[in-house]
Amino acid sequence: MPPEPDTASGQRKDEKIFLVIVIVLAVVVGVGSWFAAAAFARHDQLHGILPDKERTLGEFSLTDENGRTVTRGELDGKILVVSFLFTSCSLTCPEVSKRMAEIQRLTATNADVRLVSLTVDPRSDTPPVLAKWGARFGADTNRWYFLTGSKTVLHNLIAKSFLAQDNGDPFNSMPGNFTGTERIAIVDQHGKTRIYFDGLRPETSAAVVKEIARLRGEP
Amino acid sequence: MTFMRQIIFLCGLLLATGCKREPVAPVSAIATNQTYAVRGVVQEIPPDHRHATIKHEAIPGYMDAMTMDFSIKNTNALNNISVGDEITFTLVVTTGDDWIENLQRTGKSVAPAPAPTWRVVESELQVGDVLPDYSFTSESGQSIRFSDFHGRAIAFTFFFTSCPLPEFCPRMNRNFSEARNLLTGDTNAPVNWQLLSISFDSSFDTPEILTGYGKYYRGEDTNRWLFAVASTNTLASLAPKVDLNFWRENGSISHNLRTVVLDAGGKIFKQFDGNDWTPAQLADAIRAAAKVR
Repeated sequence: MPPEPDTASGQRKDEKIFLVIVIVLAVVVGVGSWFAAAAFARHDQLHGILPDKERTLGEFSLTDENGRTVTRGELDGKILVVSFLFTSCSLTCPEVSKRMAEIQRLTATNADVRLVSLTVDPRSDTPPVLAKWGARFGADTNRWYFLTGSKTVLHNLIAKSFLAQDNGDPFNSMPGNFTGTERIAIVDQHGKTRIYFDGLRPETSAAVVKEIARLRGEP
Repeated sequence: MTFMRQIIFLCGLLLATGCKREPVAPVSAIATNQTYAVRGVVQEIPPDHRHATIKHEAIPGYMDAMTMDFSIKNTNALNNISVGDEITFTLVVTTGDDWIENLQRTGKSVAPAPAPTWRVVESELQVGDVLPDYSFTSESGQSIRFSDFHGRAIAFTFFFTSCPLPEFCPRMNRNFSEARNLLTGDTNAPVNWQLLSISFDSSFDTPEILTGYGKYYRGEDTNRWLFAVASTNTLASLAPKVDLNFWRENGSISHNLRTVVLDAGGKIFKQFDGNDWTPAQLADAIRAAAKVR
């Protein structure tokens, strides 16, 4: 700001008022930026979503993409990364599966981690159909299980262990009226559903890996 | 939305005050005032009279028709207005705020439709089970029901006209077209059968649109093949019975493929899942189903 000629006292007064405004604005902007920075930092950390109630992994016997039976017992003591899909879902499910593939890659050396994707449309999503879907995302079939079987068993398992169901317009939710189907859930080594992350957000892969590291540190 | 608006408002404020000597925030706000004349039906009025939920018509250049909550600055504005009233009002939008004013009852008062609740609890039917009767809106705009075709085998499938994937909905209708040709071209085939292509997109697939789509896949000859659309209520009950799944995401509909053949007595005779079946298989199923009464 170039200094203005000091010709009249009125102008000096103007200058003072202007300076006061500038200082007040600087303070406002400074404090505002600090709050904004704090808010964005929190945003970046991507807080997970906590379960709506105490949820634990229910008993089940289902079939994976290779036609192999997978039971709850086989997964005891493992940390599970769980997603929900049906293969004719054209937007959300591919995006979430992409995230699961990233998590598979980032946890490749963690022998105690398994990835599980549950279909809500098992009559369509037979093992061969799921195998094709898995191959599309580079699924390692030793670590990432796409589970199908009885619709009742699958829907009951999802409803008990993972997601709420609503009474809304059936067009607005994934088949089964499940809500939050874009989430990726984490089950700890004791079979407790601990936290969810939004499977549509790229930051979720890193957040899941971080959460797994935290869980592995627990007794 | 509101948060973004606040951010934009703040940015505007900072820019305006940062570049000029005088604080000019109010000027920038007034400069972007927009008003819109809107019509709608009042759905809900909270006791504080500072809001109203209104199901409004489209506001050209601003938003589509929808039901939403509007702020009201003058708490007397709602004095002569009750839930169910058709009203006109002015929507005022500034950079940082929006509200409605000049609320006028247009005389007619209708009870608001109760918010529908759906829950898919119907159980899946098996081959041999009777499918209950359901009604649809046909391409000619008339109400049609499965029972209208009593005594005929019925093959029905689901689609929507804006379905973008050629191997999904269009393949179903191409298969129907070929199956019809196989049956009508076979002098030994039964004649008591009917094809029905049912759209699940009742918000877009009007009778006019279905007529155009039908002409493309079927031609002018409506003999034994009709296009129709199901309401969401009908689908909420019918879909789980035949394991049809659908989900509206990002404006399109993701869905599985279910094609069902009912015998001439209305029982489920055969179900074709997915798209890995041929018109000949469907024609054969219809031939057999037409004989079962």
